[in-house]
Amino acid sequence: MRNRVREQRTQREMSQAELAAALGVSRQTVISIESGRYLPSLPLAFTIARFFGLTVDKMFDPDEEAGT
Amino acid sequence: MMAFIRPRLRKPLGIALAGTVFAAAWALRGGDAWQLSVAMVVTVLVSAVTTYVRAGEDNDDGALAGSRADERQKMLSLRSRALGWNFAMAAAFIGVTIGVAVKATWWWPFLVILAVAGFGQLLGWSTYTTAEEGTTEDADTGPQVRSPAS
Repeated sequence: MRNRVREQRTQREMSQAELAAALGVSRQTVISIESGRYLPSLPLAFTIARFFGLTVDKMFDPDEEAGT
Repeated sequence: MMAFIRPRLRKPLGIALAGTVFAAAWALRGGDAWQLSVAMVVTVLVSAVTTYVRAGEDNDDGALAGSRADERQKMLSLRSRALGWNFAMAAAFIGVTIGVAVKATWWWPFLVILAVAGFGQLLGWSTYTTAEEGTTEDADTGPQVRSPAS
């Protein structure tokens, strides 16, 4: 599943640590989500989407492979 | 009570407490065992301090040691413990099987481990399926057919 977390974060010139602090998760989890190795829970997916002002389906695309 | 203890201190204190109780059991045993209990206290203290230091590190292990794990880290811990549980069960099964085959007197502790684990799993299954599936009132059996008169 592809996601736009890295894209949105870099647009806002945030570090992974800053995003992690804002979302209330660890930096390692942000890294795992960005690389597509970890699929967040539904509550966390909503938190991420709301943080960037997007909907969940805009943030996470199930039809695309991670890294494509 | 745990809320009053700083997250970073929770695991080290738990290790220190459990280790001290176990060391006290060896001390109570009497005889030469008191020497072993002293060695155990030293080991437990070193382990508690090591855990406290690990808890300050910025990695998954540190987050778990410092009781500040997020959902992914908790899942990692859960999966690791499940793997450990599988190994323990396999070892207990092999132990009880060999014990029975060689007519040993030590086969039954393995059976107790298997029985306790099996009971724990059934209890967990019962608890978590009820909690997640809810009651029969929560079940939706599809659209209800209404009579034209209603």
